Amino acid sequence: MAARAPRLGLALLVALALASLPYWSGDLYRLHLVSLIGAYWVLVAGLNLVVGFTGQLSIGHVGLLAVGAYGFAILAGTLGLPPLLALPLCGVLGGAAGLLLGLPSLRLPGFYFAMATMAFALIVTELSLAWGGLTGGGTGLSVPGFPAPFDTPSGQYWLILAVAAAVTALTWNVARLMWGRALVAVRDSEVAAASVGVNVFRVKLTVFVFSGVTAGLGGALFAALQTYITPDTFVFDIGLFFFVCIIIGGRGTILGPLIGTAALTALPELVAPLARLGTFFYGLALLVVVLLVPEGIGRLVAVLVARVSGEPHRSHEVRPDLARLRQALAPPDGTAADAAPAAPAPLAAQALR
Amino acid sequence: MLAVIVSGLAIGAVYAATALAYNVMYSTSKVLSVTTGHLCMLGGVFGAWFIAGLGLPAGLGLLGAVLVGAAFGGITEVVGVRRVLARSDEHLWLLSTLALATMLQQAVGLWWGTEPKPFPRLIPQDFSAGLLDQKYWLPILTVLAMTAGLEAFYRLTLWGKLFQATSEDAFAARARGIPTDRVRSASYLLAGALGGLAGFAAGQLTFAFFALGLTLTLNGFIALAVGGLGSNLGALVGGAGLGLLSAFATYWFGGEYQQTIAVGLLMLVLLVRPEGLLGARRVRPV
Amino acid sequence: MSAPAPAPGRAGLAAEAVTKRFGGVTALDAVSLDLRPGEIHGLIGPNGSGKTTLLNLLSGYYRPDAGGVRLDGEDLSRRSVQRRPRAGIARTFQKPRLLGHLSVLDNAMLGAWRDVRSGFLATALGLPSALREEAALRARAADLVHGVGLGHALARRASLLEHAEQRFLEIARALALRPRFLLLDEPAGGLTGAEIGHLADIVRAVRDSGVGVLLVEHHTDFVFRVCARVTTLDRGRLIKHGTPADVRHDAEVVRVYLGA
Repeated sequence: MAARAPRLGLALLVALALASLPYWSGDLYRLHLVSLIGAYWVLVAGLNLVVGFTGQLSIGHVGLLAVGAYGFAILAGTLGLPPLLALPLCGVLGGAAGLLLGLPSLRLPGFYFAMATMAFALIVTELSLAWGGLTGGGTGLSVPGFPAPFDTPSGQYWLILAVAAAVTALTWNVARLMWGRALVAVRDSEVAAASVGVNVFRVKLTVFVFSGVTAGLGGALFAALQTYITPDTFVFDIGLFFFVCIIIGGRGTILGPLIGTAALTALPELVAPLARLGTFFYGLALLVVVLLVPEGIGRLVAVLVARVSGEPHRSHEVRPDLARLRQALAPPDGTAADAAPAAPAPLAAQALR
Repeated sequence: MLAVIVSGLAIGAVYAATALAYNVMYSTSKVLSVTTGHLCMLGGVFGAWFIAGLGLPAGLGLLGAVLVGAAFGGITEVVGVRRVLARSDEHLWLLSTLALATMLQQAVGLWWGTEPKPFPRLIPQDFSAGLLDQKYWLPILTVLAMTAGLEAFYRLTLWGKLFQATSEDAFAARARGIPTDRVRSASYLLAGALGGLAGFAAGQLTFAFFALGLTLTLNGFIALAVGGLGSNLGALVGGAGLGLLSAFATYWFGGEYQQTIAVGLLMLVLLVRPEGLLGARRVRPV
Repeated sequence: MSAPAPAPGRAGLAAEAVTKRFGGVTALDAVSLDLRPGEIHGLIGPNGSGKTTLLNLLSGYYRPDAGGVRLDGEDLSRRSVQRRPRAGIARTFQKPRLLGHLSVLDNAMLGAWRDVRSGFLATALGLPSALREEAALRARAADLVHGVGLGHALARRASLLEHAEQRFLEIARALALRPRFLLLDEPAGGLTGAEIGHLADIVRAVRDSGVGVLLVEHHTDFVFRVCARVTTLDRGRLIKHGTPADVRHDAEVVRVYLGA
């Protein structure tokens, strides 16, 4: 409990800093950059449940981003729907596309699945070129912005921040509650997952559809931020970028991929030589992480923290508490539930780290 | 119509060659490397550079392209596979070979440029040869020769038999004293050389293009999965089928739906026969 | 232990003349076994005699080539692995299959998955019902973890556990399922004498709560000590079935397995 107060304070401080960013960021370019990170994060947060928690290696989520972006441009632009209505519709659209992609591919083994997602990204590009009447073909589409009060750079930023915060909260709940354990079970041992009755395919599909929804939302926000989209906006490299953000940030954490997304988006913008290397830099970062810290940098930090402050490892004889066991095994009669001890929440702590 | 068939078979030959390279590496390591298509890309780009850029004779250009392919195959094994296989995590090789493929593609793009460049003529032939042009029959003959050569290698040579023993049961092979690590290294060098050769032979068809690798990694894999993982004959059948399908799809619908139709074929085959047309049914380990 | 009581009605988990082949090898040849609520049933035999195959058939990892698996008389053969736990069948593995990245408590809680009523959406929104459910399952899992003697390691990563702790945690996870039948695959493997004693206490406590326990085991002393009935397999065939005393002195069992 003692550790909770400073952590809560830190979280409040970060929230305050993020909310007031437009007042101290200095220039509009930096604000745009943070808005872009936010739009990416809306997608990456959902993808993180697929890749980091459930272990399904989707490298083609840029296809779902494109579905959301084109959906927004068409719904709010061509059809003239209110942008604030088009935004959730893009989530629905992304979810439907996720279902379409996940249904045939999530039963396949790992490499097959990765290739299917990559093919999906290429197919979306192909279709966006082929259906010129809808998408503007190679010329692309201009994207309307959001109405007041979200029509200024600051307003747009706050809208993105709100959606990103909401999506983060949703994934945090999933990660820390029973579903989070089921996801990790599917990732680490499908045999163990099935042995406790987890329907592996259904769990994978549910999470994948959710990631489609967040990708659709992220795509809509991204498109509004870009103001103009073409098929070239959604090159395969971006899908790779999302994937690398998560692997570098670490499996099974939320904060790690968040930092990964922010760092990998901002670094090439702030350090000019990295921008020239572009995708090479992402590949190199991925290789270094896979070879040296395969669990990701987030995990490395967690391990170091645990080593500094952690409990010393003691050998301890296993001595069953038979009275408590018998009580726990007794058919529920109302008394057992009252004996609940206040246990800590290790998974939640891990998810935040 | 004949033109569609010939061009379909020619591009199918490139897919089949990529699928063969997949098989060679998969057999000894049970790894499907994302760098497989990039081996062919290297053959095309370096072949063009050696001959058109440096002015070397075609024979030396071929040798150079094969060596560059083999070198990158070796790098894939040393950096992307060897260290990762030592750990038991099944997904890490996908990440490491993906990282290598990404780095290579971007490096070639920065050095060679992102526009496709023409590949020099290898054999004196008039450009009006039409369907008899070397850009069609060179890749087809090359992949047929590669398949025959691989079969002969596996059946007739000692190293080929070591490959097969490792492929069937690496654990038992190691127990019988076969240096499975060296067999694996050799298989990656071989796959690289084959990829370089195929990319060189198909250069006039595909052009020397840095982004070709990723396309071939995907379409070569589709050919492999359709034909059946582990089967060289299946690789040929899958490659030819996919090439013909793409060519006819372009002929009927225009080029816009090529990838969509290729993936449609894959999903259809996987739905009906998960092990591919000529693949061995795998026993599920519990 | 008391003599086996006749089963009331057809309550129980039963393999009826099941046959399982792998390629040309017949791993099980028309073997029958019935496990009743509230009994500990031992399954012994030499390596490769088909013990684990039978357990995999009962827990749904394999489908029988002939014969059937019945729960209270109802045919289970066509039900997938993932649906067996819902019918109240839990198991452990020869080599513990824990989630090394998660804590001990998280691993035990995973066992309670079949009681999770909150859907993905209710969970993501953090609805009060989902939070209440989480707290209740956490309390139950914590009781079980303490019960099997791992209270000192509640928050430890499962990958840091010692061997015996891993085995006991797997049992706690299986019990979190509220099973009617618990299938244990060599739970005493690698345990010290004292630890086997604790294991026996746990298994008896589980039996006393009305759960039927199937014990696939090589430690015959342990089996004869805790089991009411024992089934012996050899090369896929059932060679003897009866009380520990019957089995221990059966000439065939002594010849193929126990030794002189």
